Amino acid sequence: MDATAEQKYNLGVVRWFAVMAVVYLVVGASVGVYIASELAWPVLNFNIPEITFGRLRPLHTNAVIFAFGGCTLMATAFYSVQRTCGVRLWSDKLAWFTFWGWNLIIVSAVITLPLGLTQGKEYAELEWPIDIAIAVVWLSYTFNFIMTIFNRKSSHIYVSNWFFLSMMIMITYLHVVNSLAIPVGLFKSYSIFSGVQDAMIQWWWGHNAVGFYLTAGFLGIMYYFVPKQANRPVYSYRLSVIHFWALTFGYVWLGAHHLQYTALPDWTGSLGAAVSLAMIIPSWGGAINGMMTLSGAWDKLRTDYTLRFLIMSLAFYAMSTFEGPVMSIKTVNALSHYTDWTIGHVHSGALGWVAMVGAGALYHLITRCFHTEMYSTRLVNVHFWCFTIGTVVYIVAMWVSGIMQGLMWRAYDDYGTLVYTFAESVAAMHPYYAMRAVGGAIFLTGAAIMLYNVLMTVRKSTAEGRVSQAQTAVAGA
Amino acid sequence: MTANDWVGTVLTVVVFCLMVVVYVYALRPKNREHLESKKYMPLDDERTDNGDKNGG
Repeated sequence: MDATAEQKYNLGVVRWFAVMAVVYLVVGASVGVYIASELAWPVLNFNIPEITFGRLRPLHTNAVIFAFGGCTLMATAFYSVQRTCGVRLWSDKLAWFTFWGWNLIIVSAVITLPLGLTQGKEYAELEWPIDIAIAVVWLSYTFNFIMTIFNRKSSHIYVSNWFFLSMMIMITYLHVVNSLAIPVGLFKSYSIFSGVQDAMIQWWWGHNAVGFYLTAGFLGIMYYFVPKQANRPVYSYRLSVIHFWALTFGYVWLGAHHLQYTALPDWTGSLGAAVSLAMIIPSWGGAINGMMTLSGAWDKLRTDYTLRFLIMSLAFYAMSTFEGPVMSIKTVNALSHYTDWTIGHVHSGALGWVAMVGAGALYHLITRCFHTEMYSTRLVNVHFWCFTIGTVVYIVAMWVSGIMQGLMWRAYDDYGTLVYTFAESVAAMHPYYAMRAVGGAIFLTGAAIMLYNVLMTVRKSTAEGRVSQAQTAVAGA
Repeated sequence: MTANDWVGTVLTVVVFCLMVVVYVYALRPKNREHLESKKYMPLDDERTDNGDKNGG
């Protein structure tokens, strides 16, 4: 079977994307831990502009979202679309173009962001020549995926492919519109939007980068890899169809909830918050659907560490998709906005959902693509606990810090005077910033363990000649 | 309302109606067996030995 799959499908590009995803996870998390430490101990800036928080923060977000997240999405989408459609990728050459193009974009981000070359738009910092490259490479990924589906042998398109497709189409649209800018130099441009329109477009992009890239795309991963790893069909296929359409229809409305109490018309933020609350229903439906896939087979979690990642990720998905809508309510937003609570919320989704489900899927496909078991299953378990404990420490620190910030900023005495200065609130954050750095370091340890385990697995597979055996066995058959 | 507002409103209502149609389709008892049979697709993908259109 290994030989048949090796010959029938393009697993080569999947292998490279999977390994690079793990490399970028370590790089992105390392930068994250460093900038978290800078906030706790500012001496770490060393008065070097290129390594200050302002320069490295976009590098961290780009590395984890587009480098780790992108490579994970490309590995898993290319792997699962071939398996569910029963056909090889439409074009091997285009798949390799996507791989090299995406990695070159990541290299260009690593060079330009520390140099301060940025558009200053959150999650869309890269300057216009790189934005054009992103659009071209993303379209190559999308086109190859769509053509593979077009050539499928089955009449039905499995739900994971619907989620991947919605991500690809929406991210193309969002990226192009949000990146519309007038260049004034090779590395300088200005957005064609201005004022509150610019803010609205930015958060229409920003929230949908979360909604489609980090949620719909990773739900595509969940709907394929949870049933595969559990060796059981998804609990309810009908629920997955409803989950898909409700998510696709609803997510595009939410961006305005990032702009409560700003120059944006009040009703826009209220509408964003109302649809955000409605989105709890499909989000929880999807999370329950994934978890209930294990119904009657929960004992698998005792021994299957990869499955633990996948199921734990759904718990964090449910938690963060409840927390987000609550934070969008104006009364709560008045306390939470501009505080570390938002950072905690983002990381419960990024670490708990995205990284967890990504790691589980990568462990699954690495064993299938390298035709061998993981070098150490014990290390997979150690990794799982590092991720879980690190994430919890991180988000608890940010919850406490954020709520404390919000309360300190709006505390006033009988005369209407602010009780605390801003500097006092900064000083009060120090223990929590240190705690956040520790949580991040625990998480980073897990990522480093994963990288070691994956590299040793690749080495084991190479030493045993597993891939070459699988290739030649078919050739000789 | 501007033409842009009307286009947005009409599109929103149309998409919303389409979503309701999908819900009715998915939840209709008659379609249950048909839809639920698709959930075995990932588990059946190990059967890779029957050729494909892309030269595998």
